[in-house]
Amino acid sequence: MAIMEILQVKQLSFAYPDEQHQVLRDITFTVNEGDFVVLCGASGCGKTTLLRQLKPELTPVGQNHGTIYYNGNLLNELPAQQSAQEIGMVFQNPDNSIVMDVVWHELSFGMENLGYSLPVMRSRLAEIAQFFGLEPLLYKPIHELSGGQKQLLNLASVLLLQPKLLLLDEPTSQLDPVAAREFISMVYRLNREFSTTVIISEHRLEEVIPLADQMIMLEKGKLKYSGSPREVSQQIQTHRIHDLKSHDDLSDDFKYLPSVTQLFWTMQTEEAYSDLHIPLTVREGKQWLQTLDWNDGAVHAIANQSIPLSMQKMQSPERSKESILLECREVTFQYEKKSAEVLKKLDLQIYKGEMLAILGGNGAGKSTLLQLLAGLLKPRRGTVKQADHVKIGYLAQNPLLYFSHDTVAEELSTAAHYAGVAEPEVVIAKLIKQLQLEGLEQKHPHDISGGQQQKTALAIVLLLNPDILLLDEPTKGLDPLAKIALARQLLELRQAGHTIVIVTHDVEFAASYSSRCAMLFDGMITATDVPSTFFSENVFYTTAVNRVVRDWLPGILTAEEVLKLWHVPASG
Amino acid sequence: MTSGFRALHPVTLFLFYGGLLLCGMLLFHPVFLLTGIVLLVSLIVIQKHGGTIVKMLPLYLLIGIAIVVINPLISHRGRYILFYFMDQPITLESVLYGVTMLLSLTLILLTSLSYNYNVTTDKFMYLFARLVPQSALVVMMALRFVPLLRRRLSQITLVQRTRGISVHEGSLTKRMRDGMTLVKVLLVWSLEEALQSADSMKARGYGTTKRTAYVVHRMDRRDRWLTGCLSILILVIMVGSALGWGRAVIYPRMQSMVFSMEDWILYVCFGIYMLIPVIVEGKEWLSWKYSK
Repeated sequence: MAIMEILQVKQLSFAYPDEQHQVLRDITFTVNEGDFVVLCGASGCGKTTLLRQLKPELTPVGQNHGTIYYNGNLLNELPAQQSAQEIGMVFQNPDNSIVMDVVWHELSFGMENLGYSLPVMRSRLAEIAQFFGLEPLLYKPIHELSGGQKQLLNLASVLLLQPKLLLLDEPTSQLDPVAAREFISMVYRLNREFSTTVIISEHRLEEVIPLADQMIMLEKGKLKYSGSPREVSQQIQTHRIHDLKSHDDLSDDFKYLPSVTQLFWTMQTEEAYSDLHIPLTVREGKQWLQTLDWNDGAVHAIANQSIPLSMQKMQSPERSKESILLECREVTFQYEKKSAEVLKKLDLQIYKGEMLAILGGNGAGKSTLLQLLAGLLKPRRGTVKQADHVKIGYLAQNPLLYFSHDTVAEELSTAAHYAGVAEPEVVIAKLIKQLQLEGLEQKHPHDISGGQQQKTALAIVLLLNPDILLLDEPTKGLDPLAKIALARQLLELRQAGHTIVIVTHDVEFAASYSSRCAMLFDGMITATDVPSTFFSENVFYTTAVNRVVRDWLPGILTAEEVLKLWHVPASG
Repeated sequence: MTSGFRALHPVTLFLFYGGLLLCGMLLFHPVFLLTGIVLLVSLIVIQKHGGTIVKMLPLYLLIGIAIVVINPLISHRGRYILFYFMDQPITLESVLYGVTMLLSLTLILLTSLSYNYNVTTDKFMYLFARLVPQSALVVMMALRFVPLLRRRLSQITLVQRTRGISVHEGSLTKRMRDGMTLVKVLLVWSLEEALQSADSMKARGYGTTKRTAYVVHRMDRRDRWLTGCLSILILVIMVGSALGWGRAVIYPRMQSMVFSMEDWILYVCFGIYMLIPVIVEGKEWLSWKYSK
């Protein structure tokens, strides 16, 4: 018997009512039962819209064309009850998809809706609670749970209905890397152990792509690539070589591949390559590098070289006593009298012109530290000392906190007014251009995309003309391209004389763009150094590329750095 | 701590406190009320939340003194005049009535303290949900929003301060305007997110068929047995009280406080009623103490 096709999408197009522009155009693909499908593409390319088309209850009103078959029958003829049971959906923000106040009640919510009998509910709940390790949390109020626990709870409450098809819309975008990895491995386990078909849209592709049976890439509502991850990477490479030859603008699709695969393809000259040899994971990457001839003269010379000094200097400004803008001296902080100390006698200096990345686990106190630096919180003991006339701008994780007006333009002009900007129109126009916010001026801040909201909030902060810019998790929920754009903007700001401090979980981002990294652990800064030294000492807290090449090129963190050293293409 | 009296089924607990409230109002007799207070306080102490009594004390004293002092001043009924205060006769009856009223109030207050400790919100919601499932669902969803909105508001306050919007500085009108802005940000944000909650409900089949309810609390033999006992005792107390037993006659003229036969019957019933939680809790305590 042939493999069952659980889902068949044929020439699907969709437009919102009264809009000419089609959000989805002519999309065709099939999903086999038990497949793990990764859906990727830039923000706003139609990933969420597509997922909603696959869940009849959530399909937005608009003009649909094309057909979707679920198990051989038309999807929109599926009875509501069956659809609720068999197609499960997990949303982006764990907070918003929770409905009840206590864990057991949230878990039973779906089953109650479908009118299950008590013994059925009991046995299913027992099973799932054990599978997810939720037993100790069963009677807890949900607001006491961490973000990762909440998202696992969402997944569990969907699974209690025993879905055949599981749709996940960027489920890890609000989670820290550790929780995200745990969540994805749980989804993968469900896929392997129960053959649940999974369609997941993600930005954290490094971890998901190696797991996928099928990868679907959308661009502006159209299906651009589809196939196994290796096939897709091959297609992207073919496209790239073509662009290189014809001197067109390089397509950014390449950035969606795992960094090991990127490294692999940039070091290849041949267009085609045997599928099997394309590395997707660190392990495969190392195996590939072992096949290279490291005794080749050119390669050998590079391998023995430590990082060229020129590369470090370019990034790291001078650090002297005079250039300290902001300094923490033995800062101790706790939220309540009885709660634990979040920061313990923490010392940290921030130097003029640098971009400092503060890394640390979840709940290590990174956000607290940033708020202390911004002067929003006062330390219990110790001092946060500013150099004279230093202005500080603070960008919180959630840009929605900044918006209180009806249009982006109004937000900016009030901010300019508050900051006492001399020529508000000129300054605002310049900022809008710099941050690429053109055309959004008359939109409501809640109606624009997450990345655009973040940039608007950044513009509000920049109007204060701060010397030091403090950013809390600026890469959270951004797709790879938006991250690069953000990095470019931060670089421009640094060149314009701003000092930047970010707290982040994003090791790749910190390694690629910061000039200095600090590790926050147990309430203290345990290590600070330039990225190359900082990360090359770590085994876990380092970039994927570093883990691949460290035996040969210690201190190298990104694919770009490898390429800078590697002008001679080598082949195995 | 979820063992002992707290571990009883919510229906049993609810019945106990309902009955106790009724007793506090029906049994208007200082001896009954004092017995009730002593046993309830011992329950509270055994359950180790005596601190709640201490916290309530200042407010309680204020109300208590007011009642004891005000009643004789405004009521001059009674036969035995103790003394004259500003030409007003102060009678023994009115003083005693005030004291009894105070005792009744004390019992009711202590009942509410112990109730809050033993019948937590989720237990109450559980009972409520069985009676009116739809409204209970709405209430439960609303309950989730209380800590959520509070947390969001504190975040908004922190960030908006960097934009010069703060309720702590500036003129009164500016502060009020800023306060409104903060609430507006909170509401717009929360409404936006509520749409997603609605999607999540729909995705899990809300409204497709008639809802059932998941039951976490099971009624065991002890629960059933105790519920039976409590019900019978309450019934006896209600009937007895309707017949005028267990009630001190103070107005218009004070009668003897000595118990009649009927009073004794009622007193024993009330005593057993009040002893039930103490025994349940005490048994638990003993079993822990001697199990090591």
